[in-house]
Formats: sequence, structure tokens, C-alpha cells
Amino acid sequence: MSKYQFISKSVFFPEQGILAIGDLHLGYEEMFRVKGYSIPKQQIIDTIEDLNKIIKEIEKENKKLKKIVFMGDLKHFFSFQRSEGTDLLDIYSFLSNIISEDNIILIKGNHDTFELVGRPMHDYWIEDGICFTHGHKLFPEIFGKEVKTIVMSHIHPSVTLHDSQRIKKESYKCFLFGKWKKKEVIIVPSFLRSVEGSDLISGSYDEDFFIVPERELEKFDVYVIGEKILNFGRLKKLISSQD
Amino acid sequence: MTKILEAKERNVNDIKGYLHPLVKEWFFSKFADFSLTQKYGVPAIWERQDIIISAPTGGTKTLTAFLSILNYLVMLAEKNELEERVYAVYTSPLKALSNDIHKNLEEPLAEIQALAKSKGIKLQDIRVGLRTGDTTASERARMLRKSPHILISTPESLAIILTTTKFIEKMWGVEFCVVDEIHSLDNKRGTYLSLTLERLNEVSKIWPTKIGLSATVEPLDEVAQYLVGESDDRSVAIARVPLDKKIDVQVLTPVKDLIYGEDIGVNTYSLIDKLIKEHKTTLIFTNTRSATERVVSHLKDKFPTEYGDDNIAAHHSSLSKAHRFRIEENLRAGKLKVVVCSTSLELGIDIGFIDLVIMLGSPKSSSRALQRLGRAGHQLHNVAKGRFIVNDRDDLVECSVIQKEMIERKINKIRFPINCLDVLSQQIYGMAIYKIWDIDELFNLIKKSYCYKNLRKADFLDVIAYLSGDYELEKSFVYGKIWYDPVTKQIGKKGKLARVLYLTNIGTIPEESFITVKIAPSGESIGAIDESFMERMKKGDVFVLGGSKYVYRFTRGMNLYVNSAENRTPTIPSWFSEQLPLAFDSALEIIRFRTLMKDKLKAGMKVEEVLEFIKEYLYVSESTAKSIYEYFNEQHKFFEIPDAKTILVEEYRGEKHYLLFHSMYGRRVNDVLSRAIAFLVGKAGERDIEVGINDNGFYLAGEKMNLEKALKNLEPDDLEKILKEAIEKTDVLARRFRHCASRALMILRNYKGQTKSVGKQQMKSHYLYHAVKKITGEFPILREARREVLDDLMDLPNAKNILTWIKEGKIKWKIASRPIPSPFASNLILQGQSDLIRIEDKQQFLKRLHELHMKSIGQDE
Repeated sequence: MSKYQFISKSVFFPEQGILAIGDLHLGYEEMFRVKGYSIPKQQIIDTIEDLNKIIKEIEKENKKLKKIVFMGDLKHFFSFQRSEGTDLLDIYSFLSNIISEDNIILIKGNHDTFELVGRPMHDYWIEDGICFTHGHKLFPEIFGKEVKTIVMSHIHPSVTLHDSQRIKKESYKCFLFGKWKKKEVIIVPSFLRSVEGSDLISGSYDEDFFIVPERELEKFDVYVIGEKILNFGRLKKLISSQD
Repeated sequence: MTKILEAKERNVNDIKGYLHPLVKEWFFSKFADFSLTQKYGVPAIWERQDIIISAPTGGTKTLTAFLSILNYLVMLAEKNELEERVYAVYTSPLKALSNDIHKNLEEPLAEIQALAKSKGIKLQDIRVGLRTGDTTASERARMLRKSPHILISTPESLAIILTTTKFIEKMWGVEFCVVDEIHSLDNKRGTYLSLTLERLNEVSKIWPTKIGLSATVEPLDEVAQYLVGESDDRSVAIARVPLDKKIDVQVLTPVKDLIYGEDIGVNTYSLIDKLIKEHKTTLIFTNTRSATERVVSHLKDKFPTEYGDDNIAAHHSSLSKAHRFRIEENLRAGKLKVVVCSTSLELGIDIGFIDLVIMLGSPKSSSRALQRLGRAGHQLHNVAKGRFIVNDRDDLVECSVIQKEMIERKINKIRFPINCLDVLSQQIYGMAIYKIWDIDELFNLIKKSYCYKNLRKADFLDVIAYLSGDYELEKSFVYGKIWYDPVTKQIGKKGKLARVLYLTNIGTIPEESFITVKIAPSGESIGAIDESFMERMKKGDVFVLGGSKYVYRFTRGMNLYVNSAENRTPTIPSWFSEQLPLAFDSALEIIRFRTLMKDKLKAGMKVEEVLEFIKEYLYVSESTAKSIYEYFNEQHKFFEIPDAKTILVEEYRGEKHYLLFHSMYGRRVNDVLSRAIAFLVGKAGERDIEVGINDNGFYLAGEKMNLEKALKNLEPDDLEKILKEAIEKTDVLARRFRHCASRALMILRNYKGQTKSVGKQQMKSHYLYHAVKKITGEFPILREARREVLDDLMDLPNAKNILTWIKEGKIKWKIASRPIPSPFASNLILQGQSDLIRIEDKQQFLKRLHELHMKSIGQDE
């Protein structure tokens, strides 16, 4: 067991000082502009603001931040898009006062078809019993004996909840926490502010491209991100209660 | 102020005196005499009096407009004085014009030319040029080389022409401008055209005499001012041509009993089949594109030996131009037995001889009904024959009342949208493309348009700020479309692509396409829905298609995948909000009838006498009167008939906790009342409230609803404020914002060859909506979306009138708890959700659900 704590939409391992950040999808907003929607630039501002809040929270608790792992899908476009590189450099320059560049780890996601800024990208990163990987592809090493905890992202977990009369519906980002192949598994939500993610309740994520099978995921616990993190218990029960 | 005059019927000799001998001889070789419309219009136009001509379809309006123009051009042509420029512009909202124009212009011109030749008179060639969205590049180039003397256009193509420098050179002396089908321009397309006409006035050194052609509409004074704009030196004459076309209308019910009777669907088609067989050519109106497809395919399926591709066709705006054209051609040639259309054949292109018009479902207003009926017996003296076929009991009452209005010639009023900032943005962009403007010159030109005569300078400047990349837009990489220099007060275009972007994105009609609905995972296709309908849905929503219920699973490309959901209640209405709303005047007419019926039933009048009354009052048959009687009698016995003095509210607890309002004011007013009340009820209980709306009333559903308290806070003077707050978080505002953003060119429909896929459209416009709101809640295009929702989509002024009547005690609320909904409420509850009024905070909701959920799984274990 590794000690972990959920801070906003990220997960932090206090003993190792490692912070894991979900999918950034940096070009998400640029995609609109390419399609002819005149949208002001907001995403990178939001991303840095949210990162800053999390880092401040860690400082406030007098804990030491040693490393940041970006969980993959830094890019949104599958093809080359200049703006995504510029955005990532903005993040690097924001982090430059906080940690050294070597301590920023980039995991490769399915959208990361290009090296964005000439920094290496890893299929997985294992440190002190914790393995970080995107989750779209299975690598045997992530099941290594030394690994106790696997952190993944990729499916952008979220839940859409409705009241008993089905009048009000709202979506929230969430974490999933459970056991799979004797490892502790944490699935982090996407970091993108404007989209909550894929609803686990209606099953709108693409299960074929995630390494954890759906029936295993149903046994996981759901931690919904509100002002506080709320434990909603087993996913399976939540699905049946919302049906 | 523009002066308004009354046009008079003129003496035949007046007209004869004006006509060139060739034109006169040609005219009397074709016609015995001038028509009444011509006696009103031709001399006035010759005298260069701006005029609006209102006459029913078939009233020889087009030739009236062109006769003086032709006469003038023939005169010049004979003297060899015809120059290489445009003398007359004709514009019509219809795209499929070429045939009418051929008949009304090219044929007469050819015949006059032939006549001249036979007499040895040399006449210069008079050219007609057609320029619509469909005109090819080579045709356009030819027009530039050899200018047409008469230019035929649509509102959009005319706007484009007015940004083309080379074409503008040919437009310096436009002496006439004909605007056809004005009555159909009571929308943003009309607002747009009003500005285009001002641009034409500006470009031409000679005042273009305006000739407006309209079906019978009210108020004509406003329509006349719309045509010529607002200025002290302008005047317009109104010609109300007193033509009374004979009509023969009837309301038919496909089955005796609309509730428990035989299958309505099957019998409707048998009835349609019978009617078609009794007539030579039948035109059917269905209101929607999907219904059009359905009717055609059912007729073919049920009567395979009767109907096939050779004698039946569907006609609606989603079909290709070539396809529509072929259908119109076949119709004119008398090859088709029946054509089914949505609303697309409502307007006046010549479609040949039609001896029966069937209206499936209510046309929603008497003027629209008359317009549709006018397609039958196109020649003026024939009787126009129309039949309504109704599908339920509300439809039965509505169609019967509309029929009464038609027979008694009660005409609904139209209204042009005013001060629209999205249309203004597009026009200013277009104007900046062809020259550099002084800002005051620009503002003064705009203010001359009827639709912008009251435009505030501040609103105008906000639009300039948006277009020139202000509002911090430039900083966030949204580049301006024009430049504005506050020192020189000049405005001009920005970027090399400006013209191309303008050309490919011009227009005011929100682009809608068809989405194919398929069963998941097999992919079996079950039908099609409109894009805007699809936009309303989220995954898991239940909707009705072709009489069956389906649940929305996911989208792929242009396909929507569903599963059958027969046991669920629809979560969204089977109509979508863009459907035709019932005219307020017609709604009040229904209330009047309800009130009369209530009094008679309460007084215990004999059945026979009530039936007699219905027959006489609504001009309906015995069997129709019986159905109406039964419907009202059930309501009377079961509960109470809502009347002019009472708004009944039924409280009913079913699957949800419902409040059902019998507010018979049409959907545009109910849109306002329902949201305002839902907002107040929701505020008091701190819960979101679901609303469902139709023309006959609305419902609210939710938790902790205290209606009495909410109604106390519903003051007419606060209505606008309450409503603005109530719509702020609704889907309807976000959706309308998308349309406005598209008109204002914030969203480009065509951008570097990109097209847009369905599922993501909604998401993208929401994203844009929130991004803009973040900049400022007072962004001009956002303000426009709010205005459009309150004034165009909804009817705030009339809703306010209702509240005033309530305050004055003329109308009272009456709330009663009911074990099951009354007959008049049964359609309402099947309506499904139209909107959600969001009150409860997202975080609050999460906490509440968390507690509930933990309690429920705690009990489980």
C-alpha cells in the first residue's frame, strides 16, 4: 500500500512527493478555432491556475513536492499542432520556479503521436512501488513484482447523477479506486476544466481501448470531486441506483 | 417620418396612355383586359410611386410589378438608349425562381421582340440576369461582361452583389426594385434584407422605386414602411386590392372516435387516398420534413398499386435543388397525382393546376392556412378547395377555429424582428468589404432601415467593438474582422480572406441537416430527425419517432444510435421548439369558443342545440361537431372547461409531481409564463424545475413546489427581469446563441473547407457560449440571443398583457388537485420536457445526492 491523497482532480503521494496530473488535452480549444469558432484563449490559463492551486494546497499542508507526472494525452490533436507545443512550454516555464525540469515526467498517451517539445516521453514510469501509465496500452513491466500501485488516466472518469424524478442531471469528475490483478489501481480524471469526462454510469467511455476490463471497473469505488471529495461506494451499486 | 398613402384603382385609359404601342399590342394579344391588381399597381409604378401591393395568390401580382418596368425598357430599347447597366432589381426569398421569371419576363420580352421584328421596328436586346446561390461562376462572369438590365436575385445574392466592386459599377442607376413575398420576411431574413435595400439605395444614384408584393397580411402600414425605410423624404402607397377568392374548406376526422376509435394512422391514409382519387392533383402540407417523408412512404407501402415514383413525390428544403426542381417541373406538367411537402411549397412559385390542398395537422394561423389554400385553383376565379385532416382532439378544435377565421377573413398579424445585432454585424462586415466608411455615414445609413430606425448608438458601437476585435478578443487570439480608427472615425475590412469568408458564410437561416436514426448495434435505419431536435437530446433521453419510443445511446458521424424504449415516458417533446407556434389571435379565438361552450354546457343546454351551435359557429359538419361536443362534454363532466376568465391548474402526482396549466395562449406566450413561474417556484423550493410547453398550456414538474406563493410574486412589471434571469441557464438561450454567433460570423459554417460533425456541434457552441460569457455577460451577440429568445421565439409583450389582466382581476387562477389528468391535459402531459429551469447549485445537488445515495446503500447492506 502506498499512501495517497486526492487533491482536487489530482492524486498526490506524500511519502514520495509525487503529484500525478490527468490528461491535459492542450489543443482542445485550438480545435474549435481550426473549425471556425472564434473562441478566446482560456484553456492554458485555466490549466496553470488549477495546477497552481494544487501546488499551493500541498505547500499549505507542509508537504514536499518532488516530482510531477503528467499522465499522457498532453496533446489533443493526433497530428502536429504548433499551439500545443507553445502551451506545454508555458507550463514548463510556470513550473520552473517550483521544480527542476528533470522532475517533470511526461507519460505517453494515445494522442501523443509527436514529441511536443523535445522532452522524452515514457510509456510508463515506475518509482518506489508506484507505476504511472496512460492505460490505453498494456506493458508487462507495469505488473512487475515491485509495483504495488498503478496510476492510470485515459478514460476521463466522470459520473452523471440525476434525482429520483429524473429532472435534474449533473456531471462530475471522479476518481476510481480498486484492486486489479492484486495491484492497487487509481484512475485519475482528465485535467481539462471545460469537459467533465466520460460518464461511467451510462458507459459512454470506450472500454475496448482501456486495459482494465469493464466488469473489473464495476468493482471499483467512486470518489466524486465536489468542493470536497465524496466517496460514493462501489461503481456497480451507483450504476444500479441511478438506473 | 415616411409618408403613407392609399393607392386607388385607376382608369383603364390611364394605363393605356402610359403604354408603349408595342407593349400595349402585346398585352392585349395575351389578355382581354387589365386585372384589378394591375389597375392599382401599373400606373403608380410608372409614376415612380413606391408601392406595396397586397393581393391574394393568383392576383397577377408579378406581371403588375413588371409591366411598367418592361414598358420603360422597351421605350429605351426602341430609341437605342438602353445602356450597359442594371435598371431593375427583383428579389425574392424563394430560390426556385427561374420558372416564374421565365414566364413573367423572358416570355413577354421574347414575344415583344418578335412583334417588333414583324413590324420592322428595331429593338435593342433587353437582358434578364438570374443571380441566386445556385448561379455558376461562369454565368456570374458573363453577367459582368454583359450587364443584365433586369437582375433577379435572392436577399443573400443581392447582398453579395453589393460587395462586388465590379458589379456595383453596373448598379449606379437602379430605377426599380421589386421585393416579392414580403409577407414571408417576418424573420431575420427580412431584417437582413431591410439593410440590403438601404445598401442598394446608397449605391444607386437614382432612387430605386420600391415595389413590394405581398399576400394578404396585416398590419400593412408596417409592411409598407419596412419596404421603403424610414426618412422624411420617402413615401409609400398601399394598394389593398379588394379581391375575394372563393374558398371551400372542411375539417375531416379520419375516425369517428379520436380516442378509442380504430387505428388513426391507417384510417388517415385511407382518407388521404380517397381524397387524392377524387381529385386531379393534390398538394399535402405536413409542417415538418420528417412527416413529409413518412406520409410518402406510408402511401407507397399501403397502396403499392396506386402510388409509385411516377405519381407521388416529397418536397422539402433538405432535398437537393435539382430534385426539387424536377418535382416542381413534373407538377406543372401535370405528371404528378400528389405532392407532399413540409412548408416548402407555401410560397408563390407557379406549381400549375392543383385542385385540392390537404393540411395534415394545424397550419397554426389563419394567414398561413389561407396562403396554403391559395395554392389550389391558382387562377383567380377558381374556388380554392382545402381539407384539414386532424390527428387528435386538440388538433380538431384548433383546425376548426382556424377554419372559422379563414371563412370570416380574420388575418393574423406579422412582426419584423428589430435591432438584431447579429444581422447588423454580418451587414457591417459586408459593407466594410467594398469600401472604407465614415462611422457616422454608416450609422445614418443603418438608421434608415425600418428594422433599425430605433437602433441605439451604444448598441451600434458595441457591434463595431466586437467586429474590430475589441472586448479583449484580440488579446486572446480572436482576430478582428474589420478595423476601426477612432481618430479618423473610419472603418474598413481586415484580412485577405474577408470577401471569401463573407461569401461562403452569408445568410440568416440557421443551418439544419438531417440525422439518420439507427438501432444499436445492428445499424438498422428507422428514420430521420432534424439536427436541432438531436441537439436537444442527451444520452439516455427518450423520444418519439414514427409513433415508437426510443432511447438515445450514442452518435457516430451523421448517425444517431438508439434502442427501443416502449415502456418509458418521453423525456423530450415529439415536436421541437423550432416548430410553428400557434398564432396568439387564433389562440384567443379558441378561448372564446371554449368560453361559449362552457356556458352552454353549464346551463344544461340540450345536446342537439349545442351541436347546432357548434355547426353554425365553426362551419363544421355534424360528425365533426359531435367529436368536438364529446371532447368538451368529457372535460365538463370530469373537471371543468377552462375559459377566458380562468386559468385552471391541475396538480397531479404520477411518475413525477406535476402542475398542469391550461393557459390557452399559444406556445410563444406559454414559453414566457411557464419559465417565469418555474423560476419563482424553483427559487422558493431551491430545486430545479422541469417545464413542458405546447400551444394549449404548460406543465411544471419537480420537488417542493409551492405555487400559491410563487404566483403572488408574479408581477407584470417584473416579468422581463424574472424571465431574463430564468432563461440565463437554459438550453434554449445557448442554442439561440449559437444561431446568433453563426449569423454574426463568430462561428463560420464554411471555414477553410471544413465541415462539422453532429455530436460535437452542441458541445462546441456551449464552449463558445461560456467563453463569451466569461468575457462579459453584456457581449452584443449574447444580448442579441436574449432579445431573440424573448421577442422572436417567445412573446413577452402578450405574456405581459395576460399578467396585467390577471392583476386587474379579469383572469383568475384556479388550482385543484386531481387524481388523474383531465382530458384537456392529456396531450400536455405526454409532451415531455421542453426545458429545465436551473436553480439548485451543482455542489448543493451533489451533497444532497451523496446523502441520499449513502443512505440507500447503507440500507442495502
